[in-house]
Amino acid sequence: MAETAIKYDSSKCTACKGCQVACKQWNQLPSPLLAEEYEFTKSFQSPLDLSPNTWLIINFSEVKQDIGIDWNFMRNSCFHCTEAACEMACPVGAISHKDNGAVVIDEEKCIGCRYCVASCPFSVPRWDEARNKTFKCWQCFDRTSAGRAPACVSTCPTGALEFGDRDEMVAAAKERVAELKAAGFTKAELYGETELGGLHTIVVAHRGLDAHGLKRDPKIGVTEFWQLLKPLGGIAAAATVGGLGFSFLMSAKYKRGEFTYDEATDTVVEKEVEK
Amino acid sequence: MTNHWIDFKNADVVLAIGGNNAENHPISMKWVQEAKNNGAKYIVVDPRFNRSAAVADIYGPLRSGTDIAFYGGLYNYIIQNKKYQEDYVKNYTNAPFLVAESYSFSDGLFSGYDASKGKYDAKQWAYQIAEEVVWDTAGAFAWVNKPGTPAFTPPVYKKAKTDPTLSDPRCVWNLMAEHYSRYTPELVSSITGMPQDRLLEIYEAYAATGEPGKAGTILYAMGQTQHTYGSQNVRAMAMLQMLLGNMGIAGGGVNALRGESNVQGSTDMAMLFHIIPGYNPTPAAATHPTLGAYLGVTTVPNGYWTNRPKFIVSYLKELYGDYATLANDYAYDMMPKLNGKNHSHISMFEQMDTGSIEGLFLWGQNPAVGGPNCSQERRAMAKLKWMVAVDLWETETAIFWSDKANVDPATIDTEVFLLPAACHYEKMGEVANSGRWIQWRYKAVEPPGDAKDDLEIATEMVLKLKDLYEAEGGANPEQITKLSWDYLDADGHADVRLVARAVNGYTVSDGKPVKNFTLLGADGTTACGNWIYSGYYNNVDSLEPQDQATGARNNEDKPLDDGMPAIGSYLGWSFAWPVNRRIIYNRASADADGKPYNEAKAIVKWDGAKWLRSDVPDFGYTKVVDGEAVAIPPNKTAFMMNAEGVSRFFASGNADGPFPEHYEPFESPVDNQMSSQNINPAITIVESAAATRGTPDKFPYVMTTFRLTEHWQTGQLTRNLPWLVETMPKMFVEISPTLADEKGIVSGDNVVIQNNRGAITAYAMVTDRLQPFTIGGKTVHQIAAPWHWGYGGTCAVGGIANDLTPNVGDANTMIPEYKAFLVDIRKQEV
Repeated sequence: MAETAIKYDSSKCTACKGCQVACKQWNQLPSPLLAEEYEFTKSFQSPLDLSPNTWLIINFSEVKQDIGIDWNFMRNSCFHCTEAACEMACPVGAISHKDNGAVVIDEEKCIGCRYCVASCPFSVPRWDEARNKTFKCWQCFDRTSAGRAPACVSTCPTGALEFGDRDEMVAAAKERVAELKAAGFTKAELYGETELGGLHTIVVAHRGLDAHGLKRDPKIGVTEFWQLLKPLGGIAAAATVGGLGFSFLMSAKYKRGEFTYDEATDTVVEKEVEK
Repeated sequence: MTNHWIDFKNADVVLAIGGNNAENHPISMKWVQEAKNNGAKYIVVDPRFNRSAAVADIYGPLRSGTDIAFYGGLYNYIIQNKKYQEDYVKNYTNAPFLVAESYSFSDGLFSGYDASKGKYDAKQWAYQIAEEVVWDTAGAFAWVNKPGTPAFTPPVYKKAKTDPTLSDPRCVWNLMAEHYSRYTPELVSSITGMPQDRLLEIYEAYAATGEPGKAGTILYAMGQTQHTYGSQNVRAMAMLQMLLGNMGIAGGGVNALRGESNVQGSTDMAMLFHIIPGYNPTPAAATHPTLGAYLGVTTVPNGYWTNRPKFIVSYLKELYGDYATLANDYAYDMMPKLNGKNHSHISMFEQMDTGSIEGLFLWGQNPAVGGPNCSQERRAMAKLKWMVAVDLWETETAIFWSDKANVDPATIDTEVFLLPAACHYEKMGEVANSGRWIQWRYKAVEPPGDAKDDLEIATEMVLKLKDLYEAEGGANPEQITKLSWDYLDADGHADVRLVARAVNGYTVSDGKPVKNFTLLGADGTTACGNWIYSGYYNNVDSLEPQDQATGARNNEDKPLDDGMPAIGSYLGWSFAWPVNRRIIYNRASADADGKPYNEAKAIVKWDGAKWLRSDVPDFGYTKVVDGEAVAIPPNKTAFMMNAEGVSRFFASGNADGPFPEHYEPFESPVDNQMSSQNINPAITIVESAAATRGTPDKFPYVMTTFRLTEHWQTGQLTRNLPWLVETMPKMFVEISPTLADEKGIVSGDNVVIQNNRGAITAYAMVTDRLQPFTIGGKTVHQIAAPWHWGYGGTCAVGGIANDLTPNVGDANTMIPEYKAFLVDIRKQEV
């Protein structure tokens, strides 16, 4: 399977949140039933943050102008990094790459240790206390493996979200950035081509990364790994179960595992590759 | 819409004004974005910086209710700078028509005003008459002599004098130029609050579409219509499009984005008191006592509406079947007649309040949240003897009597019934979208529990009423007993396919559907429920929807004739009324010789011998001579629904003047800078509105209401759906940081918004999306709140914005002025 990616073009996004709702609908993620369980967010952004039951939100930020504002929207969800910190951090191999680049959590294997939560440079995975599991966007792998676009993409009315071959998405995004620059959006930038080995969410940020709240040059440094390892010692059981993950983490600087999903056995197969 | 959703992609400039298309009609942005991809400019004019503005190329803030000042200034700019489409204006508008001396205008008042009645005599706004043309009943109008046709006096067409050179001072063009010369950029900026440089930037960008071959489209919604001069706002947009040659072309038009998925269908089917299906006037007892009188008075003397008698007689034949005969005036007496009183929404609730209406049947309506001054409406409903609410949910209206509504149930005697209805996935039928496409949809699942589809509910009721009137008699029982209701299947249930065929129309003798409305007769040989839909369900061999035009699903964008461009008409997908025409008035897309103004997006084109078409032409382009179709060479009749054959800058059909003129809303913080007439002099103010009118000394802030992508109307379909509630859970009010500072309010505070009609609480959302306006040198603050919340349900409850809106309406339509009124706001004491 060729690598695929979601392309998000902020210049075409009207922040209708259709993607946000489609995600919850397709993945059957519940929302609270009673008015008392909701808070006023002081913003059109609602809910304010991702959660175990909300894997995609649209972020809103306002920058005052002489007349009106710049209303900067950003799709906030998993970027499906090639060098996925969550996958590297997971001590039990519950997080893996699909062939198409999607990074998915295997709920059965997840032990709720939250290393992925701590390691993700984008704060994407969210731990659910009741279930003691971590959840995040899986790029609707059930849909994409059946030849369909993720739910968020298929509901987008404006073409702000597209899904397809990653190289094509990157090429189209580059072209769009050039177009936007020519049209006066001089700070327009592409995001995701090279970050963390290449993301599987490619972003056209028409007012630039900073305006849209995108982390410039995100990293997963060695220091972060060692910080991660500290609590690991404290959870002996987890460490034991996650022996494989532990040793993998130790060697993360030098090589990484490439996890592939084997449909026949419904398991994840790991192979080491030189960096 | 004159055009349709997909056609937005053909525009060079898209102007969204009085509508928030990105938020409230999200799919519209698919096509606006496509236009933008092709280089189009997208302009958004709105009091609030909304999500449409977020993706606009130019945003212009405009104080609520000042659209006519904006348009007046734009006409002035276009005329002064000669940006108008001159060829179009001369050929396809009434610019050259000469106006009678009885028309005048002075200080905000047109001639013919009777101050004691608060009404105009529109007869003063007439043309100078060149000749009187009577119907040729031996030739073109020979059909009036056919046996079976009711006798009526054919109207006389008073043909106007014209001056094609536009030099006569009494020609429409010069009167218009003079009228709008008062709308200078300085004054318009001072009225609207839009900074002058931004105003002129927008004027320049939009006026550029006056170049032949360029297209500008206007997208609007309730921000235009819900004003005491809402009809004039709409006329103003039409006039703008005529000035720039944008009407009848691909990528042009005046496009109402309808707020409900089938609200187009509801107006087509006349869910309004002043019209009957197909935009025919409701008979009035005083002026139309007989069918002959109705036809004589309402039939338009020239143009396509001369056919009205055919549509009316066919309509009566469908309503009353065999009972309708020439001898009994086709059962015309059975039709309810207007009694000289207004029966719009506002008036109905006034009548409930005074006790003259005792029962209320509500079908998918929730006035306890959606009505203007709706706490007054809830009080009025409490005086009813009975009320039936047909809905998917237990609406606020259905529980207006409960403690949830903050009233004591013991004080209310109204007997309330709630009938559960099927939703759109649970029934079969058609829905007409804003682009006039009538699309068939099928039932996906059975309705739950006792829920029934609306047609079944109506049918059960009609059949029961018929039985009761047959058995017991009563007042005017024939109105019900003689009503034809032959829509039942073998099991006695309503069959919507039979209704559709009746709406399409059929030949009475054999029941076969007619091809389209051109085959309807005024002689009782045809029946038709709604002439404009005729052709949508006309398969003579099949009753199945997939075999009908409305059920057609050919997803190919193909022009009618080879050699013409594909312009997104998709003629094989569903059916657009009339006669599957996607862009109406499309004759005006080509010049007087039939040469398209824009070859690349041509709709019709005269090739010297015949017309080439990409869409269905909106003019007489062929005639049958000796059984052969013969092409009709180009003439200038581009607007055949008007007697003049042209579109109107100057129009006598409105109650409040032949030209749109700026007035302030019913409640405004400032005086009118255009004239000493502060408010529209022709509006009707009902008693309860007069009693609650607020003044700026007590209520200094302008408020407007709006909708959100996340919610739907009064919230029934969305506040009961947690996925949507989560995306916008709480009622709020948008306040500028300047006003928030003045009032000591911070984001997240509970605030009280109040006027003489009520007080509501909401969360404060302090945002730079709202900014104070400078009006006549004075700072005017505007606040804005959505109207989706209410006291029903468990998932999302909140203040009802319409408790604050005035129950005062437009001079022509009585649509309430929801979009501009006065309030005070304060932080809620804890």
